[in-house]
Amino acid sequence: MSTSPLPGDASNDPADDQSGRFVRQPNGRVRPLSPHLQVWRWHVTMLGSILHRITGGALAGGAVLIVLWLLALAFGPDAYATFTGWMGSPVGLLIWFGLTLCLAYHLAAGVRHLIWDMGEGLTPKSANALATGSIVFGVVVSVAFWAGLFMTGRVVL
Amino acid sequence: MSHGTKSYIKGVKVSERHGAGEWVQERLSSLILVPLTLWGLWSGWTLSGAGYDGALAWFGSPLNAILLAVTLLVSLWHMNMGLKVIVDDYIHRPASRNTLLGLIGLLCVILAAAGVFFIVRLALGSAPLPAGFGA
Repeated sequence: MSTSPLPGDASNDPADDQSGRFVRQPNGRVRPLSPHLQVWRWHVTMLGSILHRITGGALAGGAVLIVLWLLALAFGPDAYATFTGWMGSPVGLLIWFGLTLCLAYHLAAGVRHLIWDMGEGLTPKSANALATGSIVFGVVVSVAFWAGLFMTGRVVL
Repeated sequence: MSHGTKSYIKGVKVSERHGAGEWVQERLSSLILVPLTLWGLWSGWTLSGAGYDGALAWFGSPLNAILLAVTLLVSLWHMNMGLKVIVDDYIHRPASRNTLLGLIGLLCVILAAAGVFFIVRLALGSAPLPAGFGA
């Protein structure tokens, strides 16, 4: 990795550096941060890990939406109509679809982590298969779920 | 906690600080959430297009209300730990990190309290809010 000029107010003294190139370990020692995204070659297990984090963050927004749904329901028919008006609109349905995708992927990738935590599936071949499988599961389940909702007439555009 | 004392179990050094507590909690919460997520997808399917009356009827079943409350609380517990890991990874200035972690914790507590409050009212068939709260 080539050395680049220090950004902004970055200091050469690791002890007071604020650029994030160094971290203070819990034991008080200052250590350089490991290289970030742009340094590594793209790989499916890397993609799987990044997606797991992104989908987890998006699902936090989903938790807020679910509580808003409960709020609208608890405030009666008028409030509920307002909520379904927003979240039943094409944009709202797209958000729900995105959250379904995040949920299905995060579920599969979470099970993948539990498998790894048991010490299984850690060879490159099986780790790749688990990552690819999680992505396929997320896409297939969420697309099938929403195709079903439209085909049974539960959701209409 | 003194830094000099080191304890060992079966020759393996035991953590001097938080240990594996958070690690175990993350795994435990995700294990609980696997069946609850599948139930949640099925519930979402049932509630889609059910309308206001359909949703109220769904809450008429105590099992649905209890499972939803458990799903919400375990999800928020899991979410708090997950967001903490993200903040720990990217925010290095202690003051910013601690502020952000505090706000995330506060959000989770508010969502938990509000969510359970609404679920209980819906399960009991209470009148629509504000229903006496400042009305």
